[in-house]
Amino acid sequence: MSTQHIAGKRLGDRLILLAVIVLALIWVAPLIWVFGLSFKPNAELMRHTNVLFSPPFTLKNYTDILGNSSVFRWILNSAIVSLGQTFLTLVLCSLAGYGFARTEFPGKKVLYIAVLAGLAVPEQAVVIPLHHIFADLDLHNTYSALILPRLAAPFGVFLMTQYFKAVPKDIEEAALMDNTPRWKIFWRVVLPLSVPAQATLGIFTFLNAWNDYLWPLISASKPEMYTLTLGLATTQGNFAQSEGIGFLMAQAVFAGLPIFVIYLFFQKYIVSAVAGTTVR
Amino acid sequence: MSSLTSSLADAPVQDTTRVRTRSYSNRHWGNALFVLPFVCVYIALLVIPVADGFWMSLHDLDVLSGDSTWVGLQNFVRLWHDGIFRGAVWNTFVFVLMTTPAFVALGLALALALNRQDRTGTALRTIFFGSSVLSVTIVTLVWRLVFMTDIGLLANVMHFFGLSAINPLTSSALALPAIALVTVWWIIGLPMMLFLAALQQIPEEIYEAAAMDNASRWRTFWAITLPSIRRTVALVATIEVILQFQLFGQAQLMTNGGPNNASRPIVQFIYEAGFQQWALGYSAAAAQVLFGLMLIGVSIQMWLSRRHDAQ
Amino acid sequence: MKLNDICKSLLACSVGVGALAAMPAHAEQTTITLARFFGACEADYGKVNDVTKAKGECGIITSLVNQFNATNKDGIVVKPEIAEWGPYYDQLTSRIVAHNVPTIAVMHQSVLGDFVSRKLVEPLDDGFKSVGINTADFTPQARHGVILGGKTYALPFDTWSWLWHLNTNILKKAGLTNADGSPILPKSPDELLAQAEKVKQATGKPYFAWTTANETAAPTRTFFTLVYQQNAQVFSADGRKISVHTAAATNALTLMNKLWTGGYIKKGLDYGATQQAFLNGDVAVDVVGNWTIDDFYTAAQKPDSALHDGYDVVPFANLYSKQAVFADGHSWVMIKGGAKSDKEKKAALTFMKFLWDHDFDWSRTGHLPANNTVVQSAQYKAMPFRNNIIDITRYGVSTPSNVPRQRAIEAIVGEEISSMMLSGKAIPAVEDAIETRVNTLLAGVK
Repeated sequence: MSTQHIAGKRLGDRLILLAVIVLALIWVAPLIWVFGLSFKPNAELMRHTNVLFSPPFTLKNYTDILGNSSVFRWILNSAIVSLGQTFLTLVLCSLAGYGFARTEFPGKKVLYIAVLAGLAVPEQAVVIPLHHIFADLDLHNTYSALILPRLAAPFGVFLMTQYFKAVPKDIEEAALMDNTPRWKIFWRVVLPLSVPAQATLGIFTFLNAWNDYLWPLISASKPEMYTLTLGLATTQGNFAQSEGIGFLMAQAVFAGLPIFVIYLFFQKYIVSAVAGTTVR
Repeated sequence: MSSLTSSLADAPVQDTTRVRTRSYSNRHWGNALFVLPFVCVYIALLVIPVADGFWMSLHDLDVLSGDSTWVGLQNFVRLWHDGIFRGAVWNTFVFVLMTTPAFVALGLALALALNRQDRTGTALRTIFFGSSVLSVTIVTLVWRLVFMTDIGLLANVMHFFGLSAINPLTSSALALPAIALVTVWWIIGLPMMLFLAALQQIPEEIYEAAAMDNASRWRTFWAITLPSIRRTVALVATIEVILQFQLFGQAQLMTNGGPNNASRPIVQFIYEAGFQQWALGYSAAAAQVLFGLMLIGVSIQMWLSRRHDAQ
Repeated sequence: MKLNDICKSLLACSVGVGALAAMPAHAEQTTITLARFFGACEADYGKVNDVTKAKGECGIITSLVNQFNATNKDGIVVKPEIAEWGPYYDQLTSRIVAHNVPTIAVMHQSVLGDFVSRKLVEPLDDGFKSVGINTADFTPQARHGVILGGKTYALPFDTWSWLWHLNTNILKKAGLTNADGSPILPKSPDELLAQAEKVKQATGKPYFAWTTANETAAPTRTFFTLVYQQNAQVFSADGRKISVHTAAATNALTLMNKLWTGGYIKKGLDYGATQQAFLNGDVAVDVVGNWTIDDFYTAAQKPDSALHDGYDVVPFANLYSKQAVFADGHSWVMIKGGAKSDKEKKAALTFMKFLWDHDFDWSRTGHLPANNTVVQSAQYKAMPFRNNIIDITRYGVSTPSNVPRQRAIEAIVGEEISSMMLSGKAIPAVEDAIETRVNTLLAGVK
């Protein structure tokens, strides 16, 4: 009975895995297409976009990107902006998430609801007022202007609060008995437990910062302050979507690689045994 | 407030150790320091701009000349009578209803299937995350090529099966579902990883106990997994409602809102009014409506999950 | 000195005032900025400073700037600030709000009116006189585009219009070519429908490729052209009202609808697919602008191309009594606050004069020249197909410059016409919707 059951479970596991692999193949097909098109000459792609595996192939799309003298400056800008935004978001949101999930102070509930209400604010509703504020402060075309606005997004606070709420209370209570200061408990006991949530938040903050377009577009008008996403877009000709498809795809691959690196760095902290063993 | 005053009043009569211990579990101003940095940023860069945006919505505004006339609620009245805007509201709701359940269900399913620490798991997770890396310009360009009439990938597959192919982006009935499909393909990575992070929090021992009981996969899921991650389910549902309410780039770049206004979302309407027609006040009013709708959506979800928590 | 440099770069990295590092090194130089689209192509043209060696919009404008920087004797440095085409005006507007204005900016003639009516653009008559640009040399179409209320607000750079790109191989199969191989063009709506049927019978292919999906301006250009050819107008004299409940507008819409429902237009094409369909020989006629001439001409040189020995291009065929076709153009403007000193203003005008003198080089992109001297030059006429389309500089019709928000209007009109074709919206309903939406928009403009 029991062995039969386990065998059935194994078969079930295999079937599920098979289904996921099939789905993954469908998922990855457009990605392979993007990659393949990036090695095709643009003139060829004006005629056909469904021939991937037949020559001619070319590296010109990539050399065109690297031939732009500003491209490394843009990468530097994007790195500063994205890493800065990621780091500051993790700091602000972990602190606030812990404060909301685990401590009590007057007015906490009201404040938390006010912060959650911010989730409902669409970017389009604040982008013009923000532009005015930064114009008044004369901050456009600076890294501060590129980094700051996204820090106000309550998504991270919401995520970290939900996560900290799920951490069992008794872990902290032992420390509380010893009269350890609150910030020490946060730093030594609770923060290490939140690594998977931090990693998830980190990946997506970085991703959104790296791919952000509308705000950098209206804030950074000097080419030396462009982010990579914005800068690459400016190199496209007026009809790039039909005349420069290969170039666009090469840009996508080129700009996507750093995000992959960050993803690979963070992802092992998401699915690891670290959290599972320490939490009851 | 009253408990604060009482705790302050109590303080002098107690020895310091006890006060400090008590203060951890009681309300204490010092604890607010944890949230203070975020709250400052939040007020300066979100609350103030939102208030500013609301003020704008009550005006007839011209960015370039700086002219501004008070018009009261006139912009909102105009929105009410604007057929295109009403269509946009409808499209947005339909889109949210199509995508949010898909993100929750598929994201959770993938997380459950891929919550494994071997190479297969890593590789598959990377694939499902991979599409999130692309910018909306590239995502929409690729999918337009997939959907392309007669010669696109979809058309080829349909022809292979002897079916007549149509380009869904040129059909009023299929345009929005096609955009929904592309959106799920693009950003399934976030819900999947949120669920993965949550699954890491469930202690192994509970599953081991279930395995001893010979509980079926299905029963384990309903009895153990789902209750353990209910906060994350609420989180993902809320986040997705919020994100999908703000649909913009995919629709603008794939159909430009057409055909016949069948796929124009509210944010595209806001963008067109503000940036193309330079009707800033009108655009700000539409943004306030979207804010209101999202606020209602978020509140309902919070209320539902809270009620669920209480049970 | 060195310490100073280190200090500067440290400052640039830490506080993010990257601009500091890029400040001109020599005091005697005058640096002016040039905001434009047309893309960036440093890899191919970054070091080319002889414009005759360049091809394509991006290549030609890039090497024009290089050539000017290398050859001008006044120490002027033109620094391009390139923006993406789509959101170009969003960025330009936000720059004006942030008081960070480029010295010179490219601007469509259809947009110029909105900036002029807000008094944001400098009139240039005196400036042009001082550097020797004679406004009398502007083509009629260009003059219409940049002279508003008697004042010249921009340097016209080109005219682009709405053309029929022909696959004469297909037309020949349908018996629609003369003995010398030249195409026989329809002269009335009925002739057009008959020709389209002939092509369908002879080759099984649709006559037209039109961009109908995910693009809004294309149907508008066709519609306006058909209305103008009937010697009719869509806008009121003061530019504040659109009327399409007219016989001319109904005729135009009816013809477009007949072509669509008759299967004479290949369905479901977005911009890229339209060009693919034409290049692959799936249609006889591609209705699109000047900018594709070069690409199609190049493709037609290849022996395996469907267009080999069979590419031709003509203005949108005249189907009614009046010779007319929709037109617009690129121009260069000086936005107020852009030139910080008289010296910069002088430098900007000097560069504009250079661009004006090189209008021929720009016309190699396929755009029509804005300079009459170029129009009449043998050099211009010697380029392929230019003789066919040159008259557009004379009879091209742009939307009257007193109509504000032209691009938004083009988008609305095009969207409604797309609805007629893609979703079968009835013509009276289309006309109602165009009038309601556009007139509401126009009423909101102060």
